Amino acid sequence: MLYNYFKQLFAQVTNPPLDGIREEIVTDTSLSIGNDLNIFDITADQAKKLIIQNPVISNEDLDKILHIDHPDFKAISIPTLYEVHKGVNGIESALEQMIKSIEKEVDNGANIIILSDRGISKHFAPIPMLLACAHTHNALKRLKKRSNFGIVIESAEPREPHHFACLFGYGASAINPYMVNEIIEQQIETGGIKDIDVDAAVNNFNKAIAKGIVKVMNKIGISTLHSYRGSQIFEALGLSEKFVDAYFCDTATRIEGVGLYEIEREIGRRYKKAFDKDGLAGMNLEIGGEYRWRRDGEAHMLNPTSIAKLQQAVRQNKWESYDVYAKAINEQSEKLMTLRGLFEFDSFDPIPIEEVEPWTEIVKRFKTGAMSLGSISQEAHENLAIAMNRIGGKSNSGEGGEDPKRFQPDNNGNWRNSAIKQVASGRFGVSSHYLSSAKEIQIKMAQGAKPGEGGQLPGPKVNPYIASVRNSTPYVGLISPPPHHDIYSIEDLAQLIYDLKNANREARVNVKLVSEVGVGTIAAGVAKAKADVILISGFDGGTGASPLTSLKHAGLPWELGIAEAQQTLVMNDLRNRIVLECDGQMKTGRDVAIACLLGAEEFGFSTAPLVASGCIMMRACHLNTCPVGIATQDPELRKNFKGKPEHVINFMYFIAEELRQIMANLGFRTVDEMVGQSQKLNMKKAVEHFKAQGIDLSKILYKPEVGPKVKLHNTVKQNHGLEKVLDFKIVEQAHPAIYRKEEQHLEFEIKNTDRTVGAILSNEISKMHGANGLPEDTLSLKFTGTAGQSFGAFAAKGLFMKVSGTCNDYFGKGLSGGKLIAEVPSEATFKADENIIVGNVALYGAVTGEAYINGIAGERFCVRNSGATAVVEGIGDHGCEYMTGGIALVLGETGRNFAAGMSGGIAYLYSPDGTFDEKKFNLEMVELEDLNEQDIETVQGLLNNHVDYTSSSKASAILADWPESSKNFIKVMPTDYKRALEMLAKENEEKLNA
Amino acid sequence: MGKLRGFMEYDRINENAIDPKERIENYNEFTVAPSTEKLQEQGGRCMDCGVPFCHSGCPLGNLIPDFNDAVYNNEWEKALTILHSTNNFPEFTGRLCPAPCEEACVLGIVNPPVSIEMIEKYIVERGFSEGWIKAEPPVQRTGKSVAVIGSGPAGLAAAQQLNRAGHRVTVYERDNKLGGLLRYGIPDFKMEKNVIDRRMAILEEEGIEFVVSTEVGKDITAAELEEKFDAVLLSTGATIRRNLPIPGADLKGVEQAMDFLPHNNKAVDGQHQRDPRFLATDKNVIVIGGGDTGSDCIGTSNRHGAKSVTNFEIMPKPADGRTEENPWPYWPFKLKTSSSHEEGSHREWSILTKEFIGDKDGNLKGLKTVEVAWKKIPGQRPQLIEKEGSEKEWPCEMALLALGFTGPEQSLPQQFGLQFDERGNVKGQKDYQTNKKNIFVAGDARRGQSLIVWAISEGRQAAYQIDEHLMGHSTLPLKNTTGDLISV
Repeated sequence: MLYNYFKQLFAQVTNPPLDGIREEIVTDTSLSIGNDLNIFDITADQAKKLIIQNPVISNEDLDKILHIDHPDFKAISIPTLYEVHKGVNGIESALEQMIKSIEKEVDNGANIIILSDRGISKHFAPIPMLLACAHTHNALKRLKKRSNFGIVIESAEPREPHHFACLFGYGASAINPYMVNEIIEQQIETGGIKDIDVDAAVNNFNKAIAKGIVKVMNKIGISTLHSYRGSQIFEALGLSEKFVDAYFCDTATRIEGVGLYEIEREIGRRYKKAFDKDGLAGMNLEIGGEYRWRRDGEAHMLNPTSIAKLQQAVRQNKWESYDVYAKAINEQSEKLMTLRGLFEFDSFDPIPIEEVEPWTEIVKRFKTGAMSLGSISQEAHENLAIAMNRIGGKSNSGEGGEDPKRFQPDNNGNWRNSAIKQVASGRFGVSSHYLSSAKEIQIKMAQGAKPGEGGQLPGPKVNPYIASVRNSTPYVGLISPPPHHDIYSIEDLAQLIYDLKNANREARVNVKLVSEVGVGTIAAGVAKAKADVILISGFDGGTGASPLTSLKHAGLPWELGIAEAQQTLVMNDLRNRIVLECDGQMKTGRDVAIACLLGAEEFGFSTAPLVASGCIMMRACHLNTCPVGIATQDPELRKNFKGKPEHVINFMYFIAEELRQIMANLGFRTVDEMVGQSQKLNMKKAVEHFKAQGIDLSKILYKPEVGPKVKLHNTVKQNHGLEKVLDFKIVEQAHPAIYRKEEQHLEFEIKNTDRTVGAILSNEISKMHGANGLPEDTLSLKFTGTAGQSFGAFAAKGLFMKVSGTCNDYFGKGLSGGKLIAEVPSEATFKADENIIVGNVALYGAVTGEAYINGIAGERFCVRNSGATAVVEGIGDHGCEYMTGGIALVLGETGRNFAAGMSGGIAYLYSPDGTFDEKKFNLEMVELEDLNEQDIETVQGLLNNHVDYTSSSKASAILADWPESSKNFIKVMPTDYKRALEMLAKENEEKLNA
Repeated sequence: MGKLRGFMEYDRINENAIDPKERIENYNEFTVAPSTEKLQEQGGRCMDCGVPFCHSGCPLGNLIPDFNDAVYNNEWEKALTILHSTNNFPEFTGRLCPAPCEEACVLGIVNPPVSIEMIEKYIVERGFSEGWIKAEPPVQRTGKSVAVIGSGPAGLAAAQQLNRAGHRVTVYERDNKLGGLLRYGIPDFKMEKNVIDRRMAILEEEGIEFVVSTEVGKDITAAELEEKFDAVLLSTGATIRRNLPIPGADLKGVEQAMDFLPHNNKAVDGQHQRDPRFLATDKNVIVIGGGDTGSDCIGTSNRHGAKSVTNFEIMPKPADGRTEENPWPYWPFKLKTSSSHEEGSHREWSILTKEFIGDKDGNLKGLKTVEVAWKKIPGQRPQLIEKEGSEKEWPCEMALLALGFTGPEQSLPQQFGLQFDERGNVKGQKDYQTNKKNIFVAGDARRGQSLIVWAISEGRQAAYQIDEHLMGHSTLPLKNTTGDLISV
């Protein structure tokens, strides 16, 4: 199918993806059809449009459009068929003819063109609808007539969200998938679908597709279908430039590939099969096997042989079995499953293998992928960590915090600490102590398996242990938003890198990107933003829990990404400051060798080490039913986990040994020598499959011409410019408090270039005292002036930090137990509760601690707060989004979409007259309640604190009239949270009774 | 996709069986069908694995997760379509297959596997009882003709596939009834013969011509056949029995299992009276050979009313479960106890028969054995060592030799001018073609003695190749073997 050649683009770093579920208020799928006229004019005629609420339409709706009887509309149906026996000439001339007909009809006043592939017969085959649609869109654009009409699609082809997304992306305004309608109808007739009538079922399908399209648009940060339509926001993979220029102009296609001839041949072949008379036509539909392996279906690299052989190899430490496994994987070039399958090593210059650096050195460059505790079981997670720590490699915590017990080695010598600590958009358990335990901190900008999307840990998987490391409530589902709320641009990313570097100076900061067109430019930006490591992830990584639309249609192979990143970094002489890492379905030493030659010097593995640990590719990771105890939290199933650290170590050993053999053949003694030497790669000469014949990899293999001084691998460290950080001054003076727990009070001036104040301090406290920090208010700091970004980031327990003045964005990011105060200076003349004192995204990912803000905070206040208590006198839009714990007390106005995706914690809101506008809330997950006695007590206590710390006049006024004013509060309570609290209370009671 | 967590809720069940004491009174099948609900539950135990090892472990590539799901959803006709799409005769395999699929079942790593074979059997039985299995003659004939020699599972599968492709197919069988080993090798208590008859009726109705009691090479010459047909498929099996050339092998009472079993089946079928020579009644029977044929001899002997039944196996007793050298998902060499063993038999392992002892009339009255040990030598086949002082004599009036088959009979292939491989099988290339242009070979004749599933698989694959050979292309299904657990 032509659709499969188009990969969805997604947002990373340069702009944020969007959460169309929690922020539905900004999304819209309605489209208008009709003549746009001159878009630079504003006339009444432009309003004469047919509005379609959901542009995935039923057969009836299409009929209505076709037979529209209204003076302002004229609909014409144009067939998109060609004479199949004429082959490529037939399709080419049919496309031309189609444009001529459309032009004629449009000139005659038609403003709705219905492209229809109905009416196929033995002689007439359908032109791929995407081709017909894109060609109509582009050809009429060239004729300057495109804005005179809208395109409606009537096709048997589209059935998956990706198909629809492509059609809309190339200009369609409405789509009638009539074949799906017919299948639904037939299924209902034969009892395959039960308890629903045809109309309702079709309607459900159409709605579901619309939701799917929103999800696809959101990945690139587009919120309305209106702006997505015609955006062509795809990259083509495996299509020739000539073909793309002719029909999909301005779409990127980098490795060449098939054109109209081959596409027509594929249609012809399918057609022959369908209409062949002398055989068994129609007896059996092909079984498929896209997502689940079937012998006669789509080929998968991890198939019964490769899985069984790998497990045998690592369990019996048997090279022969590994060899069978590696051969099976490497020899897939004929199947064309990966780009690297098309590469061949070249220019052999053999040296004795003894001269190649030992495997023990090589495995230090190996990492296991970011898989959170929660997505995989504690047993599987710790097994990877122990293995990687033993060989000096690195395992990755994934997004989900980590039990502090793992930070120190166990008595038996096993060290369960994840060397890489991940910081993802959910910020689960990202505290000062967590960050302090890392050798590397990874910012996940996107995930190979599902770039541009967030994540969700369903309630049943959040057992008490998982909840404790994520600092959340057991059995309450957790949402990771698609974007990092503190990163909307490259500057914001630089700020986060700076924050994390402050939080742990010894750790490298790693930024994880997903391969897509333009990733080189992004990588250069990230290098300038002072990341120490850049990880380029391939699209084919992924958990069994990824949405199916993402599994296949988003992201590009790492071969393209790593090559582009390497070239851009080398050409800009940035390569030496950066460590380049690569991951995504790396399975053999050959894969590693190719990544290395293309520019990577560190390598990540995820699926393969899990298979080594016992994973049998059940692909049920999201169902909590993994029978081998890996992707499950079910205590019974977890007992089935049979993996051992030795299995993972054996896997890494085999990979390194295979790599060493390749290195010896090519003549490299060290990996450093090998990085970026892409001249050692050549395309396989004998790839006969006709599709491959058009593929041109020269753009990938291109090695930039640079001077001898320009390095191809990492040689120096980034200069993070931490010397001038205010914290060092504080640390110097606060010695008694930090190291001897003596109470101290210090005062400093602060200005807006003083960023991330408190993080280094907290790092020192965490290193000394662990998660417990210092006793409350041990070190009291008063700052006067304007605090820069990230004031009080990751502030540890025992810190009391007060700003008399104003604060910038990210106030209290990742607050880890400290107390933050922002007060209006006493000499100020303005009203505190009418002015903004703290910037956007305050208390993002706060873990625990308190904050008192004597004024209004900006947008996205307390997003992903999981345990901090905050008092504020007013906030902007999207307050308390995705909050999972803690308390927010807001004494003034809130913006729109309050409490979206809020699954835990409590918010108390005040209004002078006790009335609240329900439209401002997102009530999908929360309920509005009156305060009970305990709540009133809590609120009163917080108000008293607020007055004590900030002298807030608003809080004083409320307290002054407490019996009356206490009635003017409401409580925002997440439904699931309430249920979970009740459940926990009952459990506790039962325990006590027992 | 089966039932989520079904594997945690339901246990594996097997078919119930009539009590051994009762069932040995006759030659009928003795299994009791589980209720539909129980079968559905069993289908619900399937985990719909991302990589279904069962499907790979099955030589036919049966779409096991797909039919399990259909059964779970009570969609039996759909299940039947799925099953028939890869297996022409599930009623044979559903009764007789050793079920490598179940050994490869992912659930088997942690729990007893899904009862796949039982599900298979009841899908097809349901199909017959509901009348869903009907003749489906081809719409159009190609004008080409194919002769299939041998009506065992390989020949029959090939015949049906070739007929579906529109060719005129004639099947030659030298026995008086169709089925090959299914008919005269497998005892009725394992598979009643009407199971074959009802399927043959369908094949006949589809237009396949059967010629029985006609031996190609004798009654018709190879040349005649070549002349008459566009292609010939040799699916004559591997019927040469292994002998035991030790002293006394010619005594009365030393019989080949493959003489004993066919004689019995024909008697059950009412074709003849029992010859006392093949009657185990009141005899001490020793079955030499611990395979499936040996089991069939045990079950038959017990039905005759043998005094005692003992089973000798030269190999050591295997472990009860998998060993580390024999990991999942590969076929495990573990102790198997067949239903015939349950009916009463004594089993001896690591035992070698040295001599048959006769009385003065040349009748068998006992045999001499010695215990053996197997010495492992790296890189070589294990070496057999007789244990000194372990000689023993056993009273025995009937010894049944179930030692396997050494290969196909040679005369017919020779008449065709075919080459043999180093193991004595008819040499067939990957495309099942012999050294002669229009002659193909499939089944045990090509691969040596093997399982019924393999025979059906060979028949299907050969049919594809023959169709492609005749027409230039084929729309018959061809099994893909990439990622296979089992060698081709």
